[in-house]
Amino acid sequence: MLPPVTRDAQLISALYDAVLALAVLTFVVVEGLLIYSVIRFRRRRADEMPEQVHGNRTLELVWTVVPAIVVAVIFVLSVDTLGRMTARGTLSNPVAHVHAINDQEARRRVERAQPVDMVIEVVGRQWIWQYKYPGGDGVITNEELVVPANKNIRLDMTAADVIHAWWMPELGPMIYVNPGQMSYVWFNVPPGEYIGQCNVYCGVAHANMISRVKALPQAEFDEWYARQAAANSTATRPGDPEAGRQLFMNSSCVACHYIEGTKAQGRVAPRELTRFAAYPTIAQLEGFENNAENLAAWLRNPQAVKPGTAMPNLNLKAQEIADLVAYLQTLK
Amino acid sequence: MASISIPLPLRERARTGLLGWLATVDHKKIGVMYMVMAFAFFVIAGLLALVIRLQLAAPNMQIVDPNTYNQIFTMHGTVMIFLFTIPMLVGGFGNYFLPLMIGARDVAFPRLNAFSFWISLGAGLVMFGGFLFGARSDATWTAYVPYSNKTFSPTIGMDIWLLGLILLGIGSTLGAVNFLVTLYTMRAPGMTAWRIPMFGWAMATTAVMVLLATPVLTAALIMLVADRNFNTQFFSANQAQLWQHMFWFYSHPAVYIMILPAMGIVSEIIPVFARKPLFGLRAVVISTALIGLLGFTTWVHHMFVSGVDPVIERFFMFTTMVIAVPTGVKVFNWLATLWGGSLNLKTPLLMCLGFLTTFVIGGLSGVMMASIPIDQYVHNSYWVVAHFHYTLFGGSVFGIFAGLYYWVPKITGRMFDDKLGKLHFWLMLIGFNVTFFPMHHLGLMGMPRRIATYAAGRGWESGNLIATIGAFLLALSVLIFILNVIKLRNGQPAGEDPWEGNTLEWSTSSPPPEYNFREIPVVESERPLFDARWRASHLP
Repeated sequence: MLPPVTRDAQLISALYDAVLALAVLTFVVVEGLLIYSVIRFRRRRADEMPEQVHGNRTLELVWTVVPAIVVAVIFVLSVDTLGRMTARGTLSNPVAHVHAINDQEARRRVERAQPVDMVIEVVGRQWIWQYKYPGGDGVITNEELVVPANKNIRLDMTAADVIHAWWMPELGPMIYVNPGQMSYVWFNVPPGEYIGQCNVYCGVAHANMISRVKALPQAEFDEWYARQAAANSTATRPGDPEAGRQLFMNSSCVACHYIEGTKAQGRVAPRELTRFAAYPTIAQLEGFENNAENLAAWLRNPQAVKPGTAMPNLNLKAQEIADLVAYLQTLK
Repeated sequence: MASISIPLPLRERARTGLLGWLATVDHKKIGVMYMVMAFAFFVIAGLLALVIRLQLAAPNMQIVDPNTYNQIFTMHGTVMIFLFTIPMLVGGFGNYFLPLMIGARDVAFPRLNAFSFWISLGAGLVMFGGFLFGARSDATWTAYVPYSNKTFSPTIGMDIWLLGLILLGIGSTLGAVNFLVTLYTMRAPGMTAWRIPMFGWAMATTAVMVLLATPVLTAALIMLVADRNFNTQFFSANQAQLWQHMFWFYSHPAVYIMILPAMGIVSEIIPVFARKPLFGLRAVVISTALIGLLGFTTWVHHMFVSGVDPVIERFFMFTTMVIAVPTGVKVFNWLATLWGGSLNLKTPLLMCLGFLTTFVIGGLSGVMMASIPIDQYVHNSYWVVAHFHYTLFGGSVFGIFAGLYYWVPKITGRMFDDKLGKLHFWLMLIGFNVTFFPMHHLGLMGMPRRIATYAAGRGWESGNLIATIGAFLLALSVLIFILNVIKLRNGQPAGEDPWEGNTLEWSTSSPPPEYNFREIPVVESERPLFDARWRASHLP
């Protein structure tokens, strides 16, 4: 397994090792008996006739009861681990991860144990995770969730279209994120960067639905957050094609879009962007001329321009839009 | 051997040539047609698997575009389960050998039997025809709602897929009725319950499971068709779990539908090749029935991360783990049958030993995954892909090849080349493990299943490359089997009973006449042919 970072992930990892040991032991016994039999009892004379044994009640009892005991041990270990994961393994422990779907009681229990420092609303949609921060600054990130390290974080998750699954292997158990339902995830992680990806098949770009968690020390997080909040309102400098290119290539754009010779190998969007600037229109929309102003409007909210388009509103900031427009206009 | 005379049924003059196959109601010809159909689909789905493995051999590969990739793995799973494993085991081996083994002249309802076959073939052609002509589903073999509803899967490919499965469900439900009635009413005189061959018990349990589980899937499929085409709201978007419950209520028992007949085959072959009776026959029969029963109480273990009440999850964890006990009983009884025997290490027995080895790994990983915390880590990862291939390839497919090496001499009257068979076995055993063992590691490293590609640098490169190499070894082993089938034409004549078999199919000619037995034998133990040989050598 990947190195466990949260307490829950550590519990799972320990349980896995214990059960694996029992499984390996069982396999060695079975395979040992099999190989021994093959060597010892192979036919040596064509006419040999072994003793005709039809069965043995004591033996039957032994190999019913012994496996039953092994299974009972695994069951008890699992229930015990579960108990520690969801009861004691709440936020009273500094490194914890708890999850539940539609389970308000579990949520309240955890909150009673220790207050949550930050609640982030998460929407899973084809093929991107979007994280909305509290605080009214309208800070929304795509794909990468930046959190303060060593704080109690709760994710209130739902899906906008089909079922997705939140799986960060280092951070503990996975959970489905269903449309119309809430899934809750709590965690508290040391500084670091963690990667995972959607784990319920969700369509053509399922493979590109990556999730990243970046845990920063509180001071660095505050700095990052202030930058995000400020960048939301106005662009501070003219669009920079290089910044736009980097943003494009390092974000979920590449999940759906194709630009020859780059990392962008997505084949979801109907037209490739290799020579985007040469197209007369944007999004093949009649009369929607391909110019900087229209492109900015499109990136700000695609649904408002062309209702029903597959391109989601990525909640891009003004500066990001300016950079992306500058970059896309270089694609000739 | 004692026997009684039952007059041969009046029949029309036996047809020959193509019409003899198309118009037949003979269980043996129908069985052969099932086997040929299933094997053809096995080859096709295997080729699809090679495309999957090529695409994943290295990071960022694009042998096919992601859309096509998703359609390919959807079809791979669907075909392997519904058009290969189930028709091969139930339709193929069940049809051909069940009546022969119980001393019957045919199944209870021969025409219904023919109907089951033709509707299954029709279903296969509908589904595969759709695939060839661009009407493809990419919703995976589990077709989770809402992805499979009209909004997210708008094309007709999804409807074709659903239609194909509905037709297959009808065929297999009718087949189950037929087998149960045949087993209940048409056994040879003297064949009491405890003298039914183990394969018969396996088929009986399988048929009960098919009968109880398949209608639930068929209902779910029809509801989804209605949702897609007539705006019903059975699976509304906010009830993600309902489809999963109905789907797995069939599809978990389906796992046992695919493994119990293979276990039945193994239970027939091991005693013959060890020259011993099956150890603990009654314990094996009871375990088989228990697996069938418990198989209906485990489906929620597919939903440990879907959002199910925690108490209910613990209940299903318990039932899932319990099923390991009767399975273990069977494994130990097979080992005890080998113990102290006189092992004839021909290909059929080797395939059974391969079955035992790989299936036990799959069974043990199944117990591991039944543990909720472990499942919450490995669910939907490549670890799971490894697990179910260990049960369904390591179990069912090794069982199927064991059955083919054992029984094709009866069907064709010719023996396989045993050396080539052994080469096939060893290549398949090695290829299988090289392909699927590294997938455990990939899953633990965080690789989800059903991804069309992956980026470099996440520790998945070497495992995937090894798995791809293994897949080509597997393909080579299947090629060797096909070569062996072609060579059958010049094979040694099999005679009535090349293996010193135990059961009634070995008392008639190879291939058997249309009426199976000139005279219906009277059965005095679970090994009528062993008795006959004993009498012949001990009585004047």
